[in-house]
Amino acid sequence: MRTCTLSLILGLAVVATPAAVSAQGRQGAPPPAPGAVAQTPANYPYTIEKIPTPDSLSAEVGGIGFLPDGRVVAAFHHGEVMIYDPAKKDWKVFATGLHDPLGLVVISASEMIVGQRPEVTRIKDTDGDGKADTFETLSDQFGMSGNYSEFLHGPIMDAEGNLFYSLNTASNNGPVRKIIRGTYSPRGRIGRMFSAVDYRGWVMKITPDGKTIPYAGGFRSPNGLVLDKDGDLFVTDNQGDWLGSSKLYKVDQGKFYGHTPSLAWDPAINTTPTTIPIPILDKMRQREIVFFPHGILANSPTMPQIDYTGGKFGPFGGQMFVGEMNHPLIMRVMLEEVNHEFQGAVAPFLSQPNLRLGSNRLAFAPDGSLWVGHTDHGWLGDKGITRISWNGQTPLDVSAMNLTTHGFDLTFTKPVNAEVAAKLATYQFRKYSYEYHLDYGSDRMDQGPVAVTKVVVSPDGLHASLTLAELQPKFVYQLDLVSLTGTDGAPLVNSTIYYTINQLRQPGAAPTIAPRR
Amino acid sequence: MIPPLVSLVTVLAASVAPPVPLADTVIQISAIQGMHFSLPRFEVAPGMKVTIVFRNMDSQADMPHNLVIMRPGTRTKVITAALQATAKQEYIPVTRDILFKTPLVVQRESFTLTFTAPAAKGAYPYACTFPGHGFVMYGAMYVGTTPPPLATDENVPPEQRVPPPAGRGGGRGGRGGLPPGPRPISAGAISYGSTFPAVSRTFLADNGPASIAVALTPQRSYNFDAGVSYFRQAWDGGFVDNYPHWRGNGDGYADVIGKVWYHSKANFPWRVSAPDSIPEARFLGYRLVQGGYPEFHYKIGDADVRELVLPREGGSGVVRNFEITTTHPLRFITDPEGGANFSASAGQMQGKVLTLTPEQARKFSITMTPAAPLP
Repeated sequence: MRTCTLSLILGLAVVATPAAVSAQGRQGAPPPAPGAVAQTPANYPYTIEKIPTPDSLSAEVGGIGFLPDGRVVAAFHHGEVMIYDPAKKDWKVFATGLHDPLGLVVISASEMIVGQRPEVTRIKDTDGDGKADTFETLSDQFGMSGNYSEFLHGPIMDAEGNLFYSLNTASNNGPVRKIIRGTYSPRGRIGRMFSAVDYRGWVMKITPDGKTIPYAGGFRSPNGLVLDKDGDLFVTDNQGDWLGSSKLYKVDQGKFYGHTPSLAWDPAINTTPTTIPIPILDKMRQREIVFFPHGILANSPTMPQIDYTGGKFGPFGGQMFVGEMNHPLIMRVMLEEVNHEFQGAVAPFLSQPNLRLGSNRLAFAPDGSLWVGHTDHGWLGDKGITRISWNGQTPLDVSAMNLTTHGFDLTFTKPVNAEVAAKLATYQFRKYSYEYHLDYGSDRMDQGPVAVTKVVVSPDGLHASLTLAELQPKFVYQLDLVSLTGTDGAPLVNSTIYYTINQLRQPGAAPTIAPRR
Repeated sequence: MIPPLVSLVTVLAASVAPPVPLADTVIQISAIQGMHFSLPRFEVAPGMKVTIVFRNMDSQADMPHNLVIMRPGTRTKVITAALQATAKQEYIPVTRDILFKTPLVVQRESFTLTFTAPAAKGAYPYACTFPGHGFVMYGAMYVGTTPPPLATDENVPPEQRVPPPAGRGGGRGGRGGLPPGPRPISAGAISYGSTFPAVSRTFLADNGPASIAVALTPQRSYNFDAGVSYFRQAWDGGFVDNYPHWRGNGDGYADVIGKVWYHSKANFPWRVSAPDSIPEARFLGYRLVQGGYPEFHYKIGDADVRELVLPREGGSGVVRNFEITTTHPLRFITDPEGGANFSASAGQMQGKVLTLTPEQARKFSITMTPAAPLP
């Protein structure tokens, strides 16, 4: 969504059903859409609760966070920052007049750092009346062409106090205005999504002493940033030109992530970026660590959050949860390191019509529940805030998928039916890749089945070790688990997982590393 | 951007108004998708001066709409008569039941209608009289009387008798459940919970993309362009309506409500040492002071500037209060072509140029008044 009209039009064309499904779902009869993610079962141990918002507030959520006492801080599209007390069900206005805030860091009940279109701003209540009175510009050292698609996503803050935010590229569905801020480059003006002013398509860093540093370029619509506890930065980006499908990156300083126009702001590049031959660009770029297969899983992934709740949110501790605009869906990402590089798998976590669409911003509350801020912003989506909480029961699901030298090891949350799990036909693999090119999106290329030649199920029924006929890097391996059940006959919650292979595990190298916690 | 007000109706209505007009109010009503008015009812006091800013925000390009206010109980009669009215009449039937009216407004255009509310209390229906529209596109102005609960209000179309989810479907939702009293100008146009003085960062036409619109009062506004740190535009009669910017993908500009009396197209006005070079300005933020007026903080080269704009007492115009820390003399190049007369409380004004010593710059003000009288 917060990407460009074309992304939506194409997204809708490919998966024409989610809106209809959702509408029917609201009336209580939701058939799963062909190609879309199946609904999680009615007895799923996660509860979805809608949080009330004031009637005349347009609750298009751009940022959400928590105070240690459990109060919620949320930023909304029309420029409000508000504080919600769940115990009293009471909203209070903290600040108004911001320009499309799309992220916030909560420092205290009297201080927030908010990202808005023109800048990252420290907002403070200095006189203790509960309302912000000081708006200090922390970072505005980037251009604005006035194009509507030039969103500012974030910020997020690391343990040292560094802030990271991302600058959306502009859309050729909109203009470059007569009056701009910053520096104009005709070299970056080319493309469907373009970078006509400085640092569009970049992730930016603000150091604790206030310096703004262009951190990494090559992004298109990077609408989701998250840091893990080790300080690793992960960013989502949206399918479109230069992106065959939506994806998750691990982002490091000075690297290039593939969307070409933003190279106009790389001092080492002195040509028009889009004229650089694709084989060279392909070598320059960093690959995604996880693909979100377009249309069949996701159309517009949003913000990731990592479960550091210490088990309060269920059996997926340390894993990443990612929102989605066009489907009533939260995804779950299982990362591992292979040859010291992150890569991994994504699966649906929760797909329920009552989650609603437009899951734009996510945050874990101190009580371990996951809060989802929705937006539609004039596009496909919904408004409001949803709280997802775990009821303590363990769902039957795949809790880890790890690459081995010869295939994959699966770990289940509960023992599976050993007889079914021992059958080769239970594991249906397909592999495919996406093209890297200027064109919009990509078909699934070089698609084909991959045979499973051997299965070993652990005696406790919690692991299955699969041997595959081939493992090929730069491919998505889609695994469909057919008819697999628990020992009680109950089906798996989610039966499709998508693993993106970049690195192969070398024989003799360290064995499977469990997902980082 | 807003056509000049006034019609014969306005004048006639004013002639029967009580001698002492009550507080003014400005009501924003849009024609929205689904053939509705964004605001299906509102309240005013008898004899109050009412300004309705009527906008056609219908997503269908071929749907002109008007807003016609009529005597209590005459809606069905008037819209039935409108079926016979001609295009030349702009589909407004000839009848004494019509009190106030806008012309037909095409998509994305607006018309500002000003009148004095009737002295007689009652529910005054309004409708679009384009043939057929009025059967579903109507509402009511409650004059000096409390409307019934929304759910049972026969003067409101059935679809609008429940407060819609906020902002849903392109309309400015949530406006059906009205608090008592006249609607403030801010409703649905600026942030929820805004109070005056108000700040609204937005996109304004012919201003920079980092604009900060400020309403000193509901009727007196200006724009500070944070992209270059300067006062670019001033207008009287209202603030901004962000709806055209907020709707859809955000490509639209917010509407400036009222009469623009100053709009500078000149370069950054300050000069520090080198006479002909434009110094670099750096925006540092703002504080809300004296009840909510933003005091902007920026640097011009190494000069540290705080600028607090306040409404000029006793008439239109603004007073820009500066506190500048500098080691160099400063020059400020006024822009009379922008539409304002300039005067300063300190320094030397020669032609268009105000020169200030560092001491004079420490605390002074520049007063700007409209060069042409405002209507």
